[in-house]
Amino acid sequence: MAWGWMQGADDMTGYAQKVEELSESGRTYSPHEAVLEASRCLMCDEAPCLDGCPAGVDVRRFVRKIRFGNFRGAARLIREANLLVGICGRVCPQEILCMENCTRGNLDTPIDIAGLQRFAGDIELGTLAPLPVRAEGRGEKVAVLGAGPAGLAAAAELRKLGFGVEIFERADSMGGVLTQGIPPFRLDRRFVESELDYIGRLGADVHLGRDEKDVAALLKSGFDAVVIGVGLYRPYTIGLPGEDLEGVFVAADLLAAVARGEQPDLGKRVVVIGGGNVAIDAAMTAQHLGAERVDLCSLESYDELPAFRSEVEIAQSEGIEFHTQTKPVKIVGTDGKVSGYEGVGIRWKTPGLLVPSNAEEIPGTEFRLAATAVIEAIGQGVLDCYEGVDADERGLIRVDQETMVTSMPGVFAAGDVVSGGATAVQAFAEGKRAATGVAAYLNEAATGDAASTEGGGR
Amino acid sequence: MVRVDLKKKVDLSVKFCGVRFPNPFVLAAAPPTDKGEMIARGFEAGWGGAVVKTLGLEHVEVNLVSPMMAGLSYEDKNLIGLENIDLISDRDINEALAEVGDLKRDYPDNVVIVSMMAATEAEWQEIARRVQDAGADMIECSFSCPHGMPERGMGSAVGQDADLTFERAKWVVDAVDIPVLIKLTPNVADMRPIAARVKEAGAAGITCINTVKGLIGFDLDTFAPLPSVNEQSTAGGYSGPAIKPIALRFVADVAKDVQIPVAGVGGVVTWKDAVEFLLAGAGIVQVCTTVMRYGYDIVEELNEGLALYLEDKGLTSPMELVGKGLVGLVSHEALSREYKVVSAIDEDLCIGCGACVIACRDGGHQALEFRGEDAGELARVPEVDDEKCIGCGFCVSVCPVNGCMSMAPRED
Ligand SMILES: Cc1cc2nc3c(=O)[nH]c(=O)nc-3n(C[C@H](O)[C@H](O)[C@H](O)COP(=O)(O)OP(=O)(O)OC[C@H]3O[C@@H](n4cnc5c(N)ncnc54)[C@H](O)[C@@H]3O)c2cc1C
Ligand SMILES: Cc1cc2nc3c(=O)[nH]c(=O)nc-3n(C[C@H](O)[C@H](O)[C@H](O)COP(=O)(O)O)c2cc1C
Ligand code: SF4
Repeated sequence: MAWGWMQGADDMTGYAQKVEELSESGRTYSPHEAVLEASRCLMCDEAPCLDGCPAGVDVRRFVRKIRFGNFRGAARLIREANLLVGICGRVCPQEILCMENCTRGNLDTPIDIAGLQRFAGDIELGTLAPLPVRAEGRGEKVAVLGAGPAGLAAAAELRKLGFGVEIFERADSMGGVLTQGIPPFRLDRRFVESELDYIGRLGADVHLGRDEKDVAALLKSGFDAVVIGVGLYRPYTIGLPGEDLEGVFVAADLLAAVARGEQPDLGKRVVVIGGGNVAIDAAMTAQHLGAERVDLCSLESYDELPAFRSEVEIAQSEGIEFHTQTKPVKIVGTDGKVSGYEGVGIRWKTPGLLVPSNAEEIPGTEFRLAATAVIEAIGQGVLDCYEGVDADERGLIRVDQETMVTSMPGVFAAGDVVSGGATAVQAFAEGKRAATGVAAYLNEAATGDAASTEGGGR
Repeated sequence: MVRVDLKKKVDLSVKFCGVRFPNPFVLAAAPPTDKGEMIARGFEAGWGGAVVKTLGLEHVEVNLVSPMMAGLSYEDKNLIGLENIDLISDRDINEALAEVGDLKRDYPDNVVIVSMMAATEAEWQEIARRVQDAGADMIECSFSCPHGMPERGMGSAVGQDADLTFERAKWVVDAVDIPVLIKLTPNVADMRPIAARVKEAGAAGITCINTVKGLIGFDLDTFAPLPSVNEQSTAGGYSGPAIKPIALRFVADVAKDVQIPVAGVGGVVTWKDAVEFLLAGAGIVQVCTTVMRYGYDIVEELNEGLALYLEDKGLTSPMELVGKGLVGLVSHEALSREYKVVSAIDEDLCIGCGACVIACRDGGHQALEFRGEDAGELARVPEVDDEKCIGCGFCVSVCPVNGCMSMAPRED
């Protein structure tokens, strides 16, 4: 079937190559297939898919653009709301966001919004995607701490609004969890790089390897506002007997090491403790590192697992063994090295309250697994506290949800450090909101100044 | 619309019959232009202009039937064509014309064209003057509605007769100063002699096509023709994607051989269809059925898609495309007999369905056959018999895999 002329036909050759190269990281549509999938869209009035996107991507409109052959228009539309077009197309749990709301699901199956977003994100991969129209340059400068989804969203939005932006990132690469956590087999780094590069082209100054904690000092040193988007970098540990044995890992550190390209030796039998996305990623990573059997032990029952359903299903189909509703008892060692894991079945004292203190052991359900390594993935907390910035008992920064302003004037926060850990797209949406908050704050300051100079200038 | 820095400044505005349109996309005379409030929403969405649904004088009785529409489904597509037995607008002309004034006040940059229909010379001239006085930028005379109106000697009864067309076109042209478009019917063997008389009468341009006369189907239970008005029906006007080839042919015929500005209409869905109309010689593109189906905001894809296409092509205006496809359009006699192609299959893409084998066996020249067991993995990849293949190209149009089959120039 002749496809005929395609927008950006030249780019398409590059596109086809790219897709071939990257095909291992998720199915990507050919232009023809994308149009076929998009034409299943019912183009609903007041489309419910839109309400499902935290970043406010106009799903109906971008699907329509693909359907009617306006591919680059689709890429631009999504990028306007969410710069992480291709990344979100890969890591968003769309099945609980836009796709869950899709009306077409009432007829047969929802539109593959994730797949179409990947398609749109990749369409301009080989080219320099055009930059958005930017507001006129402003004098004010904003410091952004952390270059994860929250910080990047804030930085990009502030640049669009014309403000000067300097990003301080503790690690030696941008991306936050996207490059330090999510394993490369799930999110190909080349997609991340091309989108980070786009954000870079918006003209923010980036300082890598800079750990910044003193927001008051930043405000004094010439920054007019600060956005904190530092995520969660204090991995929790359980305090189990045997935790100091060789072969016990903390998931976040392990994933970060793998993300840096290291290949730690975990041996053939790995036990992962935890039931969230990090646990699943750790389990899958263990498989990639050569483990023959991976057991995943969670307090939660299968249906209660906090990880995204799609990820749980993939893990299960890849042969990860689930021991749900169990709690760890101890890590067993031989010659200072991990050799086994002991756990016990539990039930919830109060159903639905998914915390360790609510777990009641069921006598007689003790079990033992052989293990060469044990990975703890029970969550992360806030690493540093920021003097003068109010936080709750877990260190999560308190903000006004509308403007993301903290207790300290001029200081804003967004992402996991506020929510305690959610999704990349939510962190992104919060970062954008924080930028709007900063802009409102600085605009007010500017008019206030103007008014006061006017008043005093007589 | 998405705001981005375009590499090269593309300006979508066009000049057509001396009138400047902010972009070449115009709402055709039909239900989407029946009310001023509707047209305003269309302008807000981005349409460059609108042709107000055909108006008649006060005494003309417009007695609608219901239902008046039925769609044609084909496999998974539930509206590849639409048949209607609607009539001209049943609205009061004074009210409708007052809204034209309001529209021009609120949207001075958008083009408002008023479609109209009458019977006698006096009536044609009267309605034309009233439309002009109402502030319309242009007039469109419907000589083309294929149902209902012809029974009263109007609509396509006029457009099918060169002399009647000339006479009425002249009445209108003589009565007003604003440019006059004549909307012609495709229900003729050749539009060119009629279009030539339109030009002779001094009209600024032609709108083509109106709907194609057709009968959408029958109810298999009751044997009633569709759309069934209490078990009865009448042939109606067929529109939508299915009629695009018919429309393109008439636009190209008229643009090439009569050389008069043409407003192209019929089956436009995407910006690609619109580009084809421009290539065929249309100066503006009107759309009806697609808007009825998907809503006014579909124009965003037309505008943006066309702009990005022009940018890719290194062009800055849609006007640079007008008529560009006509050079290659020649008589059958003039086509090369030296150029020969032969069917080619991409082994890697072929999924082995054999649709092309059947098509060539029963609809072609028995040139395709599965390779068979001996070919191992390629057993179900058809082989082309170069001797038997006459290069008809039918196999390419049945292959379900994009890019798998093509017609390659013969080497010998
Ligand atoms: C393993 C794992 C898998 C996940 N999988 C998914 C998924 O599939 N889909 C999904 O939507 N979400 C997923 N999430 C959640 C998602 O990644 C996070 O919600 C999101 O990244 C939070 O963004 P953020 O910008 O708030 O924080 P982060 O992405 O953590 O970025 C914070 C950045 O700040 C830097 N930083 C820390 N302290 C300082 C400091 N003092 N000064 C300067 N810089 C500092 C860090 O180095 C980091 O780069 C996953 C999380 C993890 C850990
Ligand atoms: C329901 C309906 C009503 C129409 N009414 C008119 C009309 O009043 N006057 C007119 O000139 N054309 C009328 N048309 C024809 C359209 O303007 C247009 O020429 C035709 O539908 C082909 O374009 P399309 O394929 O984009 O729909 C009507 C079409 C439809 C479907
Ligand atoms: S809900 Fe589904 S079918 Fe409806 S507009 Fe959104 S993607 Fe299309």
